[in-house]
Amino acid sequence: MYRPIIGVSENVVKIREVIDHIADTGLNTVICGESGVGKEVIAQNLYQNSSRSGKPFIRVNCAALPDGLLESELFGYEKGAFTGADRKTRGKFELANQGVLMLDEIGDMSLPLQAKLLHVLQSGEFAPLGSEKEVKTDTWVIAATNHELEKDIKAGKFREDLYYRLNIIRIYIQPLRERPEDIAPLIEYYLEEYTRQFNTAKIIRPSQSVIDQLIRYHWPGNVRELQNILKRMLVLGDAEKILNELHARSGEINGNPTTVTDDRTPANPMNIIDLYGKDSPNESSFSLKKIRKTALDHIEKEVISHVLEKTGWNRSKATKILKISYKTLLYKISDLGITPPSKN
Amino acid sequence: MGTAIKLLIIDDNEEILTSLNRFLSRKGYDVELAANGLVALKKLEAVNYNFDLVITDLVMPNISGVAITTIIKKHNSQMPIIAITGYGEQPGSLAKEAHADFVMNKPFKLDEIEATIQRLLK
Repeated sequence: MYRPIIGVSENVVKIREVIDHIADTGLNTVICGESGVGKEVIAQNLYQNSSRSGKPFIRVNCAALPDGLLESELFGYEKGAFTGADRKTRGKFELANQGVLMLDEIGDMSLPLQAKLLHVLQSGEFAPLGSEKEVKTDTWVIAATNHELEKDIKAGKFREDLYYRLNIIRIYIQPLRERPEDIAPLIEYYLEEYTRQFNTAKIIRPSQSVIDQLIRYHWPGNVRELQNILKRMLVLGDAEKILNELHARSGEINGNPTTVTDDRTPANPMNIIDLYGKDSPNESSFSLKKIRKTALDHIEKEVISHVLEKTGWNRSKATKILKISYKTLLYKISDLGITPPSKN
Repeated sequence: MGTAIKLLIIDDNEEILTSLNRFLSRKGYDVELAANGLVALKKLEAVNYNFDLVITDLVMPNISGVAITTIIKKHNSQMPIIAITGYGEQPGSLAKEAHADFVMNKPFKLDEIEATIQRLLK
């Protein structure tokens, strides 16, 4: 299904511009980015904006099939090419002729198959399994991967010559957490789309406060996770429960994902101390005194952060509430690593 | 004196862009710069692919020099292109396949690039 690339971030704006300028060239392209980030949407946009639109668009997931099967999927086979090949079958390269072949998860392709792919890209020809005759193909190959192919080359898992041949155009889409300004437009777009889709069901649109919390979440599963959550909210209507689930999964929904101080639920002391890890009694550094300090520091940090937040970081007011000296407060802020909220 | 020779130089390395600009402008060329492939394509489209010569880096994010070379040659096969690369043989051979007129490896001498420009424009 064709979808526009939603977003207002610099990354997304640039991707749309690149697509406008190169979609009609049919040059080999690699789309890189984490899982769930929307690589197929980009491939679809390239295809729709090219003169190949209306011709086949075929997607093959290179990670989903064992090697031999992937080879026969891509290149097809003659009758009798292997046990079970009871009739001639055309491969995706032939089926996608004049259109687009999207090779998803290209980083998972085996080295022998990479060599065959390189041959097609160099010559525009391939031989189906069991055939000696080469077949010509005019297929626009758009590869996608969540791997860092440069690292795979160093590790000997990806062919350098194939890398350069594919990387004529390279589109990198950032994870959603690095372009938070795209979350609100994505939510708007998908709420509208799903409301239309589920129009027979009773739709309960999440409240603004729920949407605000979704915007603050860091979306490790990227756009796909956001889509799933929105669908569930619309169908089940239980936004608070879903938010709590997200919260429990990551402990990160209420703000800064890396600090514990933003977590509003009362801390369980056993979560502060890692008895089976760094604070294990088996460690030579273990002592009850050290554990007490760790726990106390954590609680002090929680309380001081809370009071500073309440007073809008007015330190004089905070010292009166906490009943400590100004100097002690400054020392605690520095020693416990308490930081003011960011301005944006 | 006739009108100056119009060059487009494309490189994502600012230092190279600056030094080529300084050197070639001083030599009397009319130099346009592009720090990436997208800017380069916009500049090329704006003049309907009419520069006297293009110098392009090959390995760049988004739109590579190989892509630029292919696109230029499709619109104006007569326009000479010098491809420059610091990434070994692969990108260079792809550029030749895309009909770049000359491939130079980094680092290169500035005099060398000017001699190549002169030779290609003869």
